[in-house]
Amino acid sequence: MKQYNLLIVDDEQRFADMLARRLNLRGCNCDVCYRGREAVKILKKKKIHLVLLDLHLPDIYGTEVLTRIRKYDERTPVIIVTGHGTEKDRRECMRQGAYAFMHKPVGIDELMTILAEIGEMSA
Amino acid sequence: MIGRFRKVLGSLRLQFYHRASEHLNPYFTFTDYRKIWGIGIFLLAVTALLPLMVVTIIYYQLIQKSVDSELILRTERVASNARRAVTFFLEERLNALRFTVNEIDYDQLTNPNHLAELLRNLKLGFGGLTDLSVISHSGIQIAYAGPFKLEGKNYSKQAWFIEWQKYNFYVSDIFRGYRDLPHIIIAVKSFRPDGTHFILRATLETERLIQTLSSYETGEHADIFLTNRSGTIQTPSKYYGDIFEKMALPVPDFSSRTETIMAIDDQRLSIITGYAFISTQIADTPFILMVIKQKAKMIGVWLELRSKINWFVGFAIMIIIIVVAITCTYMVNKLYLADKAKAEAMAAMEQSCQLASIGQLAAGVAHEINNPLALINETAGYVKDLFVIKKQYSKDDELLENIDYILEAVERCGTITGQLLGFARKFDVKIQRVNLNEVISDVLVFHNKEAEYRNVSVVVDISKDVPEIDTDRGKLQQVLLNLVNNAFQAVDDGCNLAINAALEGRDKVSITISDNGCGMPEENLSKIFEPFFTTKERGQGTGLGLTITYGLVKKLNGNISVISKEMEGTTFIITLPIRMHEELSKNENSFGR
Repeated sequence: MKQYNLLIVDDEQRFADMLARRLNLRGCNCDVCYRGREAVKILKKKKIHLVLLDLHLPDIYGTEVLTRIRKYDERTPVIIVTGHGTEKDRRECMRQGAYAFMHKPVGIDELMTILAEIGEMSA
Repeated sequence: MIGRFRKVLGSLRLQFYHRASEHLNPYFTFTDYRKIWGIGIFLLAVTALLPLMVVTIIYYQLIQKSVDSELILRTERVASNARRAVTFFLEERLNALRFTVNEIDYDQLTNPNHLAELLRNLKLGFGGLTDLSVISHSGIQIAYAGPFKLEGKNYSKQAWFIEWQKYNFYVSDIFRGYRDLPHIIIAVKSFRPDGTHFILRATLETERLIQTLSSYETGEHADIFLTNRSGTIQTPSKYYGDIFEKMALPVPDFSSRTETIMAIDDQRLSIITGYAFISTQIADTPFILMVIKQKAKMIGVWLELRSKINWFVGFAIMIIIIVVAITCTYMVNKLYLADKAKAEAMAAMEQSCQLASIGQLAAGVAHEINNPLALINETAGYVKDLFVIKKQYSKDDELLENIDYILEAVERCGTITGQLLGFARKFDVKIQRVNLNEVISDVLVFHNKEAEYRNVSVVVDISKDVPEIDTDRGKLQQVLLNLVNNAFQAVDDGCNLAINAALEGRDKVSITISDNGCGMPEENLSKIFEPFFTTKERGQGTGLGLTITYGLVKKLNGNISVISKEMEGTTFIITLPIRMHEELSKNENSFGR
């Protein structure tokens, strides 16, 4: 299986770390950051195949992070993983080209299925 | 026609008499409709009847006064005329006697032949005289002309003679005397040149006087008679005693004029009494003329008219009361129905608000729980990964089993929070034209196998006049699926499930899903749409299925209600608009936000 570079952006540090470890165990290469601005910086520097983005971040809101990402990168799939998402957020994110909008807790198998889909699409 | 009549009758039924439902009581504006109805009828009836009664009473009094004054006038006129006649009768005869004693000297008067001639002439001229006699100042009857033999009779010791000495002219009571016939004596005193006096006395028959009085009797209820000043009846009376008996009425007070009074007689009858003390220009008399009329008999025509008026007024009062009662009943019914509709709307609104606020709370809780839940999920998942992926821990089966329990519990929590958010979240409504038959068939596909296996008969009956409706197909499908799921869970093997659809008025359709399963107790009916209310065993149901269904039906601008009886079955009725408008749906859909 191809090794995917994933970026997990979530202010719940332990959640982000744990999810990263689980995905790493499944052959992914996960970067973790806890701030929106930091995520944008990482994306500028490194090739990332998939971003898992939380909405409630301490510095900027998730939708704004997505907007900033889309300014220079229209292709990288972004999956919103949130515990607080509203319908308005969902619509806004989908409008800006989010790949999926998921509510916590997220099943690891579900995530792996999406990852496989993305792999097929980019292949 | 009959239908309309029934409708009118129905609208006059006292619909407010029994309150519709206890749970609506707090939302009613007015509490006691029976009291409002009673007060309304009383006030309207008083307002309508009071003027009628007052006018009728005033009219009666005016008529009564007018009739009374007319009766008094008529009675007074009769009494006055009769008085003149009686006075004239006596005065004429007294004058004849006075003329006689002045014109004819004593010797001629005491000559029996001459006296008899004189009597004959007086009878011819005036009539009503029985005899004529001359009595000396010492009381000896000197001459007599008449049918009896009374010459030489001495009256000096008799009381009447002594009484006579005081007067120059005299009129006696009517009395029987020696001859035992009612008669009146009139007498004139004359003085002779030697200073002595004599008396010319005449006896009058009473028939002429009685005839004169009778001629004034108008109608059979009038009674005219003479009485003397001590109340002894002098001429025959119809109602107040026989001649020479004491009159059954009190003797009236003296008056020189003709008087009329209203009184009550010994029979408790209302009477009008006209009376006059008879007095001639020459001499006073002992007679009182009495003219008595019984009022009730005299005003018979008026009483008959009054009876008709009474019937008419009574009928009018009855009509007014009926109209007032009908008006009040109609108005209070309308008021009650409006109030009831308002109460129902408020109760529904409150339930809706309650569900909405519960939804908001649930959404808040779900959001907050999701983050720690996600952490538990990932941590437990990671531990499991260590077992599954990294083989060094795989031998500890018990630990792995327990981790699976944690993950299973997290999944269940996730389902609940997901459903809570689904209940509270505001979805877009996608309106499209939907064929109910197709939607129901699609839903039943999920249960075909189960129905076959459990021998449950499913009957679908869509009325031919049900059109295709504009609504959100997905949501309608979810609603039907939830209800059919519930029905399948409620029925035993071999039971029935019926799905009907029919047109409801012009712009609505109703879908009925009924089963003959276990049903629900009445106390549960009001709670079944509340979140987390479930009758299933612990762990079997989340208690959100019907809440979500309720929310979805509301989003479709519809209504859902339930009828259920324990051991008989349950029926859910969904009413949906045929044409659902998107904007309306968005505006009205405040559920969960």
